[in-house]
Amino acid sequence: MSNRSRESGLSRRGFLKGAGVTAAGAAIAEAGFASFAQAQQTSQNVNIISGTTTITLQVNGAAKTVQVEPRTTLAEALRVNLDMTGTKIVCDRGACGGCTVHIDGQPVDSCMTLAIDVVGRQIKTIEGLAQGDVLHPVQAQFIEHDAMQCGFCTSGMVMSSAALLEHNKNPSLEEIKHACSGNLCRCGTYPHVFAAVQAAAKQM
Amino acid sequence: MAAETETPKYALGIPGVNLEEVQRNVPENEPPPLAINEKLHTIGKSVPRLDGRAKVTGAARYTADINLPGMLYGKLVSSTETAAKIKSIDTSEAEKIPGVKAVYLIERNMAGAGANASADDRFPLVRYCGQPIAAVAATTPEIARQAAKAIKVEYDPRPWVTDIEEARKDDAPQVISAGSAPPARGNVQQRGNVRGPQRGGGASQEAIDKALAESDAVVEAEYHTQVQTHSVLETHGYVADFKPDQLTIYASTQSTQSVRDEMASYFNLQRNKVRVITEFMGGGFGSKLSAGIWASIAGRLSQKAGAPVKLMCDRKEEQQSAGNRPSSNQKIRLGAKKDGSLTAFHLVNYGTAGAATGAGVGGATGMYPIPLALTESSDVMTNAGPQAAFRAPGFPQGIFAFEQAVDELAEKLNIDPLEFREKIDVAPPAGSRGTTAWQVRKEERRVGAEKIGWKNRKAPNSDTGPIKRGVGMAQGTWNRNSNGSGTCEVRINRDGSVEALSAVQDIGSGIRTVMAMVVAEELGIQPADVQVRVGDTNFPPGVSSGGSVTTNSMTPPTRKAAYQAKQELLKQVAPVFGVQPSDLAMNDGKIFVQADPTKSLTLRQAATKMQGEHISAQASRGNTDYATGPGMGGVQFAQVAVDTETGQIKVERIVAAQDCGRPMNPLTLRNQINGGVIQGLSYALLEDRILDRQTGYMVNPNFEQYKIAGASEMPQIDVIVVEQYCARSSTDAAGIGEPATVPTSSAIANAVYNAIGVRIRTIPMTPKVVLEALAARKSNA
Amino acid sequence: MNAFEWADACSIQDVFAVNVKGSAIKAGGVDLVDLMKEGIANPARVINIRNIAGLNQINMDAGVAKIGPLATLSALAEHAGLKQTYTALAQAAAAAATPQIRNMATVGGNLLQRPRCWYFRNDQFACARKGGDLCYAQRGENQYHAIFQNGLCAIVHPSAAATPLVAMNATIELTGPKGKREMPLEEFFVMPNVNLHAENKLEPDEILTEIRIPALQAGTRSHYVKQAEMESHDWPIAEAVAVLQMDDKICKKASIVLGAAAPTPRRATEVETAITGKEITAELARSAAKAALRRATPMTQNRYKLAMFEAVISRAIMRAAAI
Repeated sequence: MSNRSRESGLSRRGFLKGAGVTAAGAAIAEAGFASFAQAQQTSQNVNIISGTTTITLQVNGAAKTVQVEPRTTLAEALRVNLDMTGTKIVCDRGACGGCTVHIDGQPVDSCMTLAIDVVGRQIKTIEGLAQGDVLHPVQAQFIEHDAMQCGFCTSGMVMSSAALLEHNKNPSLEEIKHACSGNLCRCGTYPHVFAAVQAAAKQM
Repeated sequence: MAAETETPKYALGIPGVNLEEVQRNVPENEPPPLAINEKLHTIGKSVPRLDGRAKVTGAARYTADINLPGMLYGKLVSSTETAAKIKSIDTSEAEKIPGVKAVYLIERNMAGAGANASADDRFPLVRYCGQPIAAVAATTPEIARQAAKAIKVEYDPRPWVTDIEEARKDDAPQVISAGSAPPARGNVQQRGNVRGPQRGGGASQEAIDKALAESDAVVEAEYHTQVQTHSVLETHGYVADFKPDQLTIYASTQSTQSVRDEMASYFNLQRNKVRVITEFMGGGFGSKLSAGIWASIAGRLSQKAGAPVKLMCDRKEEQQSAGNRPSSNQKIRLGAKKDGSLTAFHLVNYGTAGAATGAGVGGATGMYPIPLALTESSDVMTNAGPQAAFRAPGFPQGIFAFEQAVDELAEKLNIDPLEFREKIDVAPPAGSRGTTAWQVRKEERRVGAEKIGWKNRKAPNSDTGPIKRGVGMAQGTWNRNSNGSGTCEVRINRDGSVEALSAVQDIGSGIRTVMAMVVAEELGIQPADVQVRVGDTNFPPGVSSGGSVTTNSMTPPTRKAAYQAKQELLKQVAPVFGVQPSDLAMNDGKIFVQADPTKSLTLRQAATKMQGEHISAQASRGNTDYATGPGMGGVQFAQVAVDTETGQIKVERIVAAQDCGRPMNPLTLRNQINGGVIQGLSYALLEDRILDRQTGYMVNPNFEQYKIAGASEMPQIDVIVVEQYCARSSTDAAGIGEPATVPTSSAIANAVYNAIGVRIRTIPMTPKVVLEALAARKSNA
Repeated sequence: MNAFEWADACSIQDVFAVNVKGSAIKAGGVDLVDLMKEGIANPARVINIRNIAGLNQINMDAGVAKIGPLATLSALAEHAGLKQTYTALAQAAAAAATPQIRNMATVGGNLLQRPRCWYFRNDQFACARKGGDLCYAQRGENQYHAIFQNGLCAIVHPSAAATPLVAMNATIELTGPKGKREMPLEEFFVMPNVNLHAENKLEPDEILTEIRIPALQAGTRSHYVKQAEMESHDWPIAEAVAVLQMDDKICKKASIVLGAAAPTPRRATEVETAITGKEITAELARSAAKAALRRATPMTQNRYKLAMFEAVISRAIMRAAAI
């Protein structure tokens, strides 16, 4: 089925370009509806997928082909199929943020995301945050401030913090807490996390 | 370098307060005394953890992350009944599913689960909902889950009891019969579900009654603490790779050796055929000190399937079955004289550890010298998940009750709670057992009170608006534990590189980094120059990371091994300089002649002069401390804001003044103290394992309804580390994991009382509990 | 999770074409994936509507707000126009769940999600809502359950967005193969005595296609208050929205709706009556809040919610009135 799914992945990319803009305001909305009308005309048949299927995911800028079932979550596709185990499964219900990845730049819970649902979207995981050997400022400051103990929440905590600093270069303590409020740490590293994010903000 | 003697002098006391020197008899070949931290180049300085990069990049591989070629995925089948006999288990449907490679039914008598099943029972008795029954292994996690669901278990349900008061009744359903419950210490009786009381303190009830009758003030109150689950982020789990000549187990454990020894025994293998690896571990807090039932299941599945099997609990299984802190119902009577001297203390506690024992509470009698004390603690067995050791077992419960009672007594005597502790936290009478932790707590009270601004504390219920603020404090105590089997090998290689090896596991406290610091201090190099390899039973024995023993147990042998390796290197290099080994020293990555530091070689140059490929020394801690004596203290202060209309408590600030002997790495140490405080805060305000009273099923086996403090609940935490030298070992270090969580819930409760003038003797102090307490005051008024 | 077929719809027509019996519609997927993981929902087919173009718009032309059902909670929380005009809606969206969930969850999914009752969410309990005989909350662990209309089934409505939307008299557009229908959101939700097995009137072949909020009259302000046990990820124990049309300190018109109180968002008509035409004071707000709770029927363990609601309602009024 892979061809069809790739196609739908491609068409989705087109859709997403539009979606990225529409959030900006009402004027664009009509353009959105126009594409809606267009889509209505073009989709005569809906592709129905069952069983094991091959999809291509855009992970950290690289195309990765994996065999999954529709029920395979993104977290498991990353961890099991791609052996990218930096993303953790902790609560497995979207309550703890241990599985946080960025989809098109937004932090989401990969345990509640179906892998098949993110074909064609840009997925960034903890493994893709550093630029080669150069750590992201959040990563570097997590080390410097010891913002980890057992480290099992760390990937998710780093991903949420990095997403915050993408659109807020100078967050207040309250904003940092808010951004990390979906990431559970059982060891209690939060005070060091806050300090690390504040320090990283200065480097962004 | 000071010449070594048999009774060298060691630092003793608190710098700036009472620092002195003391002579100690020490074993042979011990490294010389270590100066106080301000004179050292590495120990006592903040060093970012050496495995930090692996953790922030996702490269660190935990057990849950192990992927081996051909590895299968295991999934448990857990009981959906609260108490039952299993009539039959039908695995046929599961076995038909393509991709299912092994099905395993838990045998009778395993892990205590079937202890009193009759001989012809094939399966263990079900004693709580969530008890593991069987397991499958399949080629994908999805298939494994589907197959586990397809296994049909036929139950014969039996009467059950989860409520502790009901369970105490004589006609309550029997959870574990007296003959088959785990053995108790001492001469403890079991009647029905009640095992106890276990007595401590030594006084008779008559003597206590008399002393209390003669006291000027007596507090008589009952305190309740809930069941708290460990809620580790990496669930309990193992990857087992059973091969004919070797069983390799990747374990999420606090004790590689325990898992190795337990599995060798279970599978009837010699220990040299079992290897346990724990490179990284995602949280244990006491619940991962033994292999539990899971390692054996993973091993059996691997044996059956002929392939490696990864078996990780899912979140629900973890919350139901992987351990908890038992509840307590503590009746306290505590008396004092007008002058503030304590007269007598009586504690009667009933707690439940579920289908297990171990619900005792601690801490109260170890802190203040009380002339007469009697503690009576009973386990009440219930059809609920069994307890496991949890960060300072028994102490947060005991101190939550006792330190509130102390505050209540102070109020009756019209003495400020802090001043009251000055009166009662004193040296034990000469000749009696007891610790000198009172000395360090005195300093902790002083610095902590100053930091929180204790002198500005108002009378209870002073604020007029709906939000009322209050300040409170509580003290803690813990034992200075160590384990003599801790062993480390230090190698200096011919290229000048340095390694330290031990089976001990780094559970997140940062022992990897601290061991590197100790070696670096001794060899005059940087911590990053030391490759520390831990978490593998192929290395020399480590210790279980429980009881806050790791730093205390691993740093002395690490230092000793480094010291001995250094002595050997200096001996081999001395001829190059034409001096005696004792004329040489190591610092800044160099070996030099002390009398003329210009005569030097870098470590790298010097290492090329060694005979052979490396110099290796291995040392064990041994069971003997240089001296017995001090326990550990800890004093915490809390500032809270209570919304009296919604019942919500916001902890605004915690000041934690803690001690742990010689602080090794302040950076990781502060992190540990924060962690203890935060778990204590979460325990005080939020966490509660809730069992449905109609079925015994846990209704919150998840992170949505089992509530744990998150980022928005964080107060400002001021950590004050009081450096205290005790001259106990060659590093004089102690652990901090447990003591830091002991006083927190009580400090918060005392602050809440100061805020609202209503004493809350139940945790968690949820809005419900607070509003009900406020409503009760209103209706009493 | 059971195995299922995956149908990627690119248009509303696509949905109708593939929406056979046993299908589930998936938008953000948060609720559906949760239900499937718990074994509560076992659809044979999942129809993905998240990529249907145009359904994620937020349009505020001509005073009326038109919100596409696929707009995420984050989009609602951050939308400048909503924040300014329909403040309580943006506040409710911002206070829901976690940052990650808000980026995934859609407002449509938020309105249509199944209840969070811990008996409902656990497949070990064959509760009345799932077709069993018993509402376990009646005699069980009901500290978070409803204090109104809780006799048959004691769920509270789980939607954070529904409380402000009902208070703002929003309507919804439902589209089926035979056409569209529109109804007030308030009438869309149903009580257990009407339907014990569903929380709303959505037909199996329909999908939610738009949410419309009428223009608010000049001087109208709104405020949302959520009380939970903690501020990090937690479900509300008490929620209130006040939408007040103010003339200086006088309340000309009031719409007050409670969340986490009853199986549907509950309009507090007693409060509306008590404060309309009056000068808003702390005392009035408090007494009005008390009035709202007179008909409450607290359960064995949730009586404390009365005091909490009293605070939450009066605070919502005071803040909306900016007093």
